[in-house]
Amino acid sequence: MTVSINGTTGITTPTYGGSVSAEYIIPVTGFKNRIINGAMVIDQRNAGALINPAIANYTVDRWQYYQSQTSKGSIGQNAGAITPPTGFTNYLGFTSSSAYSITATDQFFIRQKIEGFNISDLGWGTVNAKTVTLSFWVYSSLTGTFGGALQNSASNRNYPFTYTISSANTWEQKTVTIAGDTTGTWLTTNGNGISLVFSLGTGSTYSATAGAWSSSAFLTSATGATSVVGTNGATFYITGVQLEVGDTATSFDNRSIGQELSLCQRYFEKLNGIVYGSYIGSFGASYSTWFFSTEKRTAPTMNFVGTTGTAQNVSTQSADVFATSTYPRIGAGTTASSEL
Amino acid sequence: MYKKTNRFDHDTNAIIANEGSYIIRIMDNAFIPFDPANTDYQAYLEWVAEGNTPEAADE
Repeated sequence: MTVSINGTTGITTPTYGGSVSAEYIIPVTGFKNRIINGAMVIDQRNAGALINPAIANYTVDRWQYYQSQTSKGSIGQNAGAITPPTGFTNYLGFTSSSAYSITATDQFFIRQKIEGFNISDLGWGTVNAKTVTLSFWVYSSLTGTFGGALQNSASNRNYPFTYTISSANTWEQKTVTIAGDTTGTWLTTNGNGISLVFSLGTGSTYSATAGAWSSSAFLTSATGATSVVGTNGATFYITGVQLEVGDTATSFDNRSIGQELSLCQRYFEKLNGIVYGSYIGSFGASYSTWFFSTEKRTAPTMNFVGTTGTAQNVSTQSADVFATSTYPRIGAGTTASSEL
Repeated sequence: MYKKTNRFDHDTNAIIANEGSYIIRIMDNAFIPFDPANTDYQAYLEWVAEGNTPEAADE
């Protein structure tokens, strides 16, 4: 019996005599999509609020916005309040707030850094480097050629790519297939494995020819790509971002909300309650300990909110505060960050 | 700008000045552990390598 599998038309068997649509094919392997929060569902830091950082900051979980010039736009979950593409409930939205003419060294982009452990099977930097396919849904008030890039941790191996937005203010799905890099150093540890960048405006210093690996430093886009920050009020919305092994884009890897949140919390976690310790005066000090929901990538940077006591013993699994003459506590809103 | 921290010694119940296991980033009062894979700690080390010195811990 011959069973044919096609990423577009689905699975066909002679017994069944028909085909199963590709959208109903359930992946049989685990971590198909190497992007975390590709559907922009989790937003622990901002809860949907827009940000306009001085230089760089995280918007929805795992997605960082970077701008080399301040006050050129705002970004956040579901900015613009439009209807997401079918099958999605959220997106990440950027709106330009000026008509800025980028200089040669300017960079504006959205980025996700993928942990090395999660791309360790790709074999990048070796002759066995696997091909990957990037797919995503995008919506913009602008049309034309847009750019992005893949980078290694040292940003000395870069692959600029382009995609075309044909219709303004319309969700379009894009696919980019990239032959794996057979040279360079690609981390397969808890460091930065691959950076995926979507450009919102990149100067010539950091742009290069699309569709080829380059050893030029810090390339974040392709030459000639559209600058979103160059048009006042221009919008750029994106969701359904998936990076997978192979030369074909398959259906989006929908994970449960619990799985997605847990994946995000390896890099950032926000305490929603209060953790109290008890005061034992005769002992001399007492502790309040926050045991993280998910073990962190590294011992995290802590930002304490509403906390009584002094921080100590921060590990990948927990953080303490101690006090010697009062009840220690860790307040709601305290965060633990081990982003890449 | 960064600031050192103190360490609480479990055995002696004493505060050991400037020997805390993390550094404070003064800008946002973040506590950065001495973990080589922590990117904030990496940024701190770069700052020190540029010739800067953290402030002493609070007494």
